[in-house]
Amino acid sequence: MTLWSRSRLWLRATLWRSRMESEMDAELGFHVEAYAEDLIRSGVPCEEAMRRARLEFGGAEQVKEECREARGVVFLESLIEDIRYALRMMRRSPGFTAVAVLPLALGIGANTAIFSLINTLMLRRLPVRDPGQLVELLSQYPGEPRTNCCGGKVYAHIRDYNHVFSGIIGTAASGFKVRAEGLEPETVTGNYVVGDFFPVLGVKPAIGRLIGPEDDHMGSANSAVAVVSWSYWKNRFDLHPAILGKQILVEDVPLTIVGVTPRAFSGLQTGLKPDIWIPLAEEPMIAHPSRLASGGLGLALMGRLKPDVSIEQARAEMSVLNQWRVAEISKTNKDPLWRQARLEVAPAAAGFSLLRNQFMNPLVVLMAVVGLLLLIACSNLASMLLARAASRQREMAVRVSLGAGRFRLVRQALTESLLLSAASSLLGVFLAYFGADALVRIMASGRRIVGLPSGIELQVQLDSHVLLFTAGVALLTGVLFGLAPAWNALASAPALSLRGIRGTGETRFRRLFGSLVVAQVALSVVLLSAAGLFIRHLSNLEHLDLGFHRDHVLLVKLDPEHSGYEGERLYRAYKELLGRFEAIPGVRSATFSGTTPISGGGAASFVKVEGHPENPEDRRYVSVNWIGPKYFDTLGTPLLAGRDFNFQDQRGPRVAIINQAMARYFFGNESPIGKHFTIDRDWKGFGDDMPFEIVGVVGDAKYYEIREATHRTIYLNSFQDGNVSSQFALRTNVGPTAVGPEVRRTVSGVLQTVSVERLITLDDQVDASIVPERAIAALSGLLGALGAALAAIGLYGLLAYAVARRINEIGIRMALGASRGDVRRMVLGDALGMVSAGLVIGAPVALWGKSFVASLIEDLPVESVVPIVFGAVAMIAVALFAAYVPARRAARVDPIVALRYD
Amino acid sequence: MDKQLDLLQGTLDMLILKAVSLGPLHGYGVLLRIQQISKDRLEIQQGSLYPALYRLEHQGWIASEWGESENKRKAKYYRLTAAGKRKLQTETENWNRMANVMAGILGTKPEEV
Repeated sequence: MTLWSRSRLWLRATLWRSRMESEMDAELGFHVEAYAEDLIRSGVPCEEAMRRARLEFGGAEQVKEECREARGVVFLESLIEDIRYALRMMRRSPGFTAVAVLPLALGIGANTAIFSLINTLMLRRLPVRDPGQLVELLSQYPGEPRTNCCGGKVYAHIRDYNHVFSGIIGTAASGFKVRAEGLEPETVTGNYVVGDFFPVLGVKPAIGRLIGPEDDHMGSANSAVAVVSWSYWKNRFDLHPAILGKQILVEDVPLTIVGVTPRAFSGLQTGLKPDIWIPLAEEPMIAHPSRLASGGLGLALMGRLKPDVSIEQARAEMSVLNQWRVAEISKTNKDPLWRQARLEVAPAAAGFSLLRNQFMNPLVVLMAVVGLLLLIACSNLASMLLARAASRQREMAVRVSLGAGRFRLVRQALTESLLLSAASSLLGVFLAYFGADALVRIMASGRRIVGLPSGIELQVQLDSHVLLFTAGVALLTGVLFGLAPAWNALASAPALSLRGIRGTGETRFRRLFGSLVVAQVALSVVLLSAAGLFIRHLSNLEHLDLGFHRDHVLLVKLDPEHSGYEGERLYRAYKELLGRFEAIPGVRSATFSGTTPISGGGAASFVKVEGHPENPEDRRYVSVNWIGPKYFDTLGTPLLAGRDFNFQDQRGPRVAIINQAMARYFFGNESPIGKHFTIDRDWKGFGDDMPFEIVGVVGDAKYYEIREATHRTIYLNSFQDGNVSSQFALRTNVGPTAVGPEVRRTVSGVLQTVSVERLITLDDQVDASIVPERAIAALSGLLGALGAALAAIGLYGLLAYAVARRINEIGIRMALGASRGDVRRMVLGDALGMVSAGLVIGAPVALWGKSFVASLIEDLPVESVVPIVFGAVAMIAVALFAAYVPARRAARVDPIVALRYD
Repeated sequence: MDKQLDLLQGTLDMLILKAVSLGPLHGYGVLLRIQQISKDRLEIQQGSLYPALYRLEHQGWIASEWGESENKRKAKYYRLTAAGKRKLQTETENWNRMANVMAGILGTKPEEV
C-alpha cells in the first residue's frame, strides 16, 4: 500500500469516524444475523438461534475495539479526546487557566524576544552566496576593542599579496546629502564600495546592474554611478523601472543610478540600512576634503575564503601581512603601541561584528536571566497542576479502576500541560513582538556607536528560527511542568483514593509539591542574587567618581554649517552667546568644549614636554580638548593650581591646562606651572613646534568612557587655538531642561541662521553610555521580583494546602496541650525548612552563575557577597510573608471543631 | 467427525487470504469458506475474524467494497489485492518449506542420526 492511500485511509478513518463506526456495526450485525439464519435453516428455533449466534460471535464491544485498533486510528482519536477534555478543563476554570498561562506566557515571551535579537545580531546569515566562507579582518590595537577598519593602502596590499581569499572587499559607511528632480533633499546612509564588492558577495541585481570593477577607476567618468537599495527604490520611486539611468545629486555630484540591490540585501552591517552604494573611486569627488586621498578613510574589510582554506590558515597569513601593515603605519605614526597591533580574522557569515560586539554579551546575560524566570514559571505551574491533580485524585482513581491505562492517564496529563504551554506560547509570541521592539528601542537609545554613521536600525523579525525556538521552548516547558502531575497520575493508588484514605499518596504528593517549592526558591535565589549583582554594578557605575558633576548640566549643540558665520565672526558671536546664556535666569555659568564628557569620542596627540624627554617606547597618546573659559567651573572639575583660561588669552602667548595624571607623570612633585610642551604634528596636520605654557592644573576627569583609566589630558583654549566648538555646556540652578526654551530663544536672538542641533542633559549623556548595564539591571530586577513573587505564591499554596489537610492533626496536637505559638512555629518552621533547602541548593548555583556573568561583563563587583546575601534575605522575608497567613490560620484552629473535621 | 484443531498462531491471516483468493467474500462468507475447505477440521473464533480482516485491509492485502448478499442484503465484500496475491504466494512457499523441514525433523529415526 502506498503512503498516499495509507494516509488517505487513515484520514478517512479519522474524519468519518461515525460512518466507520456504523459500517462496522452493520458488518458485524450482518454476520450474526446470517449465522442465525443458517442455524434456523438447520432446525434451531428462532430465539435460540439468535442467542447462540451472539454467543458464538463473542463480545461484540471487544471485537469492535480490536477492529478499531487494527484500523490504526485509536491513537489519534484518543489524542483528540484528550485535547477536547483538556480544553474543557481550561474553559471550566478560567481563573486557574489565566494564572497558569500568564506567567508562562511572560517567560516564553521574554525568552522569544531576547532570542529574536540574538538571532538578528548573530545567527541570521547574510543573503549572499555561501556566507559561511565570509570572514572579516579586525584590527586589534592594544587595550582597545577590535575594529574593522583599515586604510586603503593596507586593503590594496592584502588584496594583492594574500593566498587565502578568493576575493576581498572594502566598504566605508557614510551619510550622503541626496537631491534629485522630484525628490525632497535628504540625508541617506550609504556605502562607498570597491569594484569587487558585489561580485565577491555574489549579489545579483533586482533590476539594472550592480557596481563592478569597471566602475572603480579613480578619475574616470565611468565611476559616476550609484546603486540604490530596494527599499529606496520602493519608497522614492514606487518601484518604477525608470529609475535606471536617472541622475541624482550626491553632495552636489551628479551620479547615474544603474541598478537596484535585491530586496533581502541590506548591506553587511546589522543595524545599518544603507540606501545607496557608490564606487570608492568617486569618494574624492564627493567628500571635501577627501579622506581617501589623505589616507584617512577607514575601510571595513571582508574576505571570502577559498574553498579549501581554513580560517586558521587565513589567520596565519594575516599575521604575516600585518607586519607590512604595522611597518607602513609606523612610518607616519610615532605611537609605539602600534607595533603591537594585530590583524585578526573572524567569521562573518552574519555580517560585520560591530553591533554584535556591543550587545552580544549583555544579551547572553539577559537570555540566562529570562531562562531562569521561565524555569521558575515552569515549576510554579507544575505545582499548580499538581495541586489540581490532587483535587482530582478520586476522579483518577475511578478511571483507573474502570480500566483506563496508566499510560493513558499520563498522556492526558501531558496533553493538558502541553496545551497550556501552547496557549502560553501564542500569547508569548505576541508579547515578544512588542518586547523585541522595546529592546531595540532601548539599544538605540544609547549614544551613537562609533563606526555607524546613523542610529541603529534593526529589523527584528519573528522568522522561522525564532518561531522554531519558541516551539521548542514550549514543548520543553510543557513536558517539564507536566512531568510532576503525570508522575503523580502514574503512581496514584486507586483503592486507597477511592476509600478516601490519605495514606501513601498524600505523603508522596506533599514531597513532590515540597520539592517543587524548594526548586522555585533555589531558582529565585539565583535570579535575585543576579538582579542584586547587576543593580549593584549599575549603582557602582553611577556613583563612580567621574571628576565632574553630572547633574544640573545642559549640553547644547549648535549647527553653524551653512549659517554664514565663520572664523572670527563666529568667535565674536559665540563670545556674545556665552554672556547671553549666563544671563538666563537659572543658569550659573556657560562654556563650550570640543568634546563633551562621555560622548565616546575625542582627540589625542603626542606631546614633548620641555626638560622631560621620554623613551620612544614609553610614549603614549595624550587626550586633547579645546575648551572655552569657565569649563571647569561649569562641569565642576576642581582647579588644583594656577588659573583658568580667559578671553584675554586670545592675544597672549599660547597657554594650556593639564590634568593631575599628566602633571604627576611628567613632573612628579614639581609644580608644572610655567613649564612648556609642544604637540607633535599628526597625519591631519595638527601640531607644530610652537610651545604651550602650562598655566593651570585641574583634577582628573573621565573623558570618553566612565570606565576608562584616567587619560593624561591637556586642555587648550579654543579662543586662542583657532578651534572654536559649537558644543555648549550650561550649569544651572534649576532643572537643566527647564532652561531649554530660553536657550533656544537666546540662540535665535543672537545667531538667526544657526540652528540648535541637540539639547541633552549631561546626566542623560552619561546614562546613554551605559545603556546595556541599565537595561540588564532594570530587567533582571523586575524579573527577579516576579520570580520571587511566583515562588511566594507557590509556598503560600503549599502551606495553605498543608494546613488544611492537617487540621485534624493540629486539633489533636492542641487537644494534647500544644499552644497556639507551637502550632504557628510548626507551620513557619515548615516554610523555613523549605526555604533553607532552596537556599542550600541555590547559593552554590548563584556563586557559579556569578563567575559565568563575570566572564561576559566587565568590572562586575563579583567579590562582593552582598548580592547573594541580599537574594537569601529577600527570599526568607518573602517566605515568612507567604507563610504568615497559613500559620495564623493553623493557630486559630479550634480543637473541638478540628477533631470532628474530615 | 474429527476433533477440531485450534488455530496455530498467525495462520488465520493465511486462511483469510486463501479464502478470498478464490473469489470476493463477505466476512461470514470467509468463515464458511474456511470451514468448507478445511472440512470443519479447524476451530475459528467468529469474533476474531473481523480484527484480522481489518488488519489485512489496513496492510493493503485485501480491499473491501459494499455489495449485495445472496439473500439481497447489504454486505461488505473483501477481495484479494495484487499485493495480497504476492503475500499469499510467499506465505504459502514459506509454509511449505517450514512444513517440510518440520516433517523431516519430526520424522527422524534414531539410526539416521
